[in-house]
Amino acid sequence: MKLPKLRELLEAIKSLSHRPYTSKFPFEPHQPPSSFRGQPKYNPDRCLGCLACEEICPAEAIAHEDRTGADIPKRVMIHYTDTCIFCGCCQDACIADHEGIKLSNDWELSFFKKAEAFETIEKDLQLCEICGSVIACKDHLKWIAERIGELSFSNPTLYQSRLKTLGVVDDSILSASRDYGRADRIKILCARCRRETSLTTAASPAGQKGEA
Amino acid sequence: MQKSVISIGPFHPLQEEPEHFMLTVEGETVVEVEVEIGYNHRGIEKLSERRNFEQSTFVIERICGICSTSHPVAYTRAVEDIIPVEVPERAQYIRTIIAEGERIHSHLLWYGLAGHFLGYNTVYMWMWRLREEILDVMEILSGNRNNYAMFKPGGVRRDINPDDIPVALKKIDAIIPTIDRLKKAILDDPVLHARLKGIGILSKEEAINYCALGPTSRASGVDRDVRKNAPYEAYDKVDWDMIVTDSCDVWGKAVVRLLEIYESIKIMKTCLQKLPPGEIDLKLKSIPPGEGIGAHEAPRGETFHYVRSDGTNRPVRHKVRAPSYMNLPTCKATVPGSSIADAAIVLAAIDPCYCCTERMAVCTPAGERIYTGKDLIALSQAKTAKIKREMGIP
Repeated sequence: MKLPKLRELLEAIKSLSHRPYTSKFPFEPHQPPSSFRGQPKYNPDRCLGCLACEEICPAEAIAHEDRTGADIPKRVMIHYTDTCIFCGCCQDACIADHEGIKLSNDWELSFFKKAEAFETIEKDLQLCEICGSVIACKDHLKWIAERIGELSFSNPTLYQSRLKTLGVVDDSILSASRDYGRADRIKILCARCRRETSLTTAASPAGQKGEA
Repeated sequence: MQKSVISIGPFHPLQEEPEHFMLTVEGETVVEVEVEIGYNHRGIEKLSERRNFEQSTFVIERICGICSTSHPVAYTRAVEDIIPVEVPERAQYIRTIIAEGERIHSHLLWYGLAGHFLGYNTVYMWMWRLREEILDVMEILSGNRNNYAMFKPGGVRRDINPDDIPVALKKIDAIIPTIDRLKKAILDDPVLHARLKGIGILSKEEAINYCALGPTSRASGVDRDVRKNAPYEAYDKVDWDMIVTDSCDVWGKAVVRLLEIYESIKIMKTCLQKLPPGEIDLKLKSIPPGEGIGAHEAPRGETFHYVRSDGTNRPVRHKVRAPSYMNLPTCKATVPGSSIADAAIVLAAIDPCYCCTERMAVCTPAGERIYTGKDLIALSQAKTAKIKREMGIP
């Protein structure tokens, strides 16, 4: 009957000389393992603004906002830190070689106001040159054009996007001739305007942009 | 003797979850127990019908705060059962590793709480310290201490880095001497013997009749374990033993859990050493219409999931049956006869998890009448008739 007591006493004496098991956290930094799943971070250089991460996110922690009214139209990608569950689906779904958004080792995410618990990046947005509606991010169009190679010459929106980034096309020349007719087919257009400029015929009803 | 009723809960500091016990006592002895749950309903089954098959896994992972592996394993197996399809061998091993790691930390957590309930706070501190080591291993392997986000229908989402395996094995080996020491300290302790032996008796017949699962049934001599009875994942590829005792009391449940920690360590180590190379994911494109079932031996017993698909990318019906749903009613057999002081540990001995259990809440308070639509219309029409009568209008 006395044996267990003795053994525990020995343990108690041993633990007197041990240093505490817990770490001195705020004074000593904590280093998580390399495989740790921390806050996802956008890489503004690699992100294409394609919204695959927003589509896949199971917690709906990713949103976007298109600012078309500004001088330079921007798409703002928003990551809500408080809603995020750090599953890494966004990284898996990222079309930019999983580099556009990536889990970091960052775990110190406390904040004082819930309304401030988000991080954003801005991407240049491409608007339709006729109606001004959103097509996609400029980087995304360029990425598609590069991916499909010469096939992109069948689509003016794609090859113009690519030529613009190369500096071959002058913006001012393009915008000078706004006649909304068949000549506009060689412009950066949304799907609706491209259909309307392409299918202009004498029989199309009045009021359509194609006849203007 | 005069009977009195002691109400415990629903905001009950004992088991960290809202539940309500009504103990009818005669003096010190409990003669009847009533359990009322339903404070923790979150509508998870409905939520998972709103997400696609892969996204649902993350909601299901959050059914339980402790066993964040058991529900996804059962769910993904249910989805794979619809097709049906077998996941790659490496994925099976990874699932087994994560599931066993979770069993170790869940049993250690129960031990800590049980020690705390009995006034053995040293056991509590030691066990939770050991649990930290296991959680560190899980963090190395999966990237998080809990909510591992490793599972998806058709495989696992993250591979185990070969460089991490020796580190994890070293950490697991390091905790074995401490568990040995604790095992001796617990199994020899005369006070624990006096406190736990002979209380909360659940006989083998009662365990079978109540359909008790997991350590609750195995402590009563019922050899029921999904991992052995219907082997899945890598459980038939490694050597391990099912722990069964027939002492039927709380002591038996404690011993079963303690010895299961050793078996889990054995399975986890073998799987880490034998981890086969290959693919980890089948990359399922679509789930055909049909229904599937999946079962997994969670730390508390068998978790059962049913999923029905109509060919779209979302489950149209998802049913969860958690082990505590079967284990909780056994308190009707175990608690009466024990003293009030023992009732706490007897109720805690089944390791209940209320947030797992609460899938549907039907409220029919006694003494109140429930009006259906028909009743209400009849009531309204009766009132009109009454007013007409009073006013003398035909």
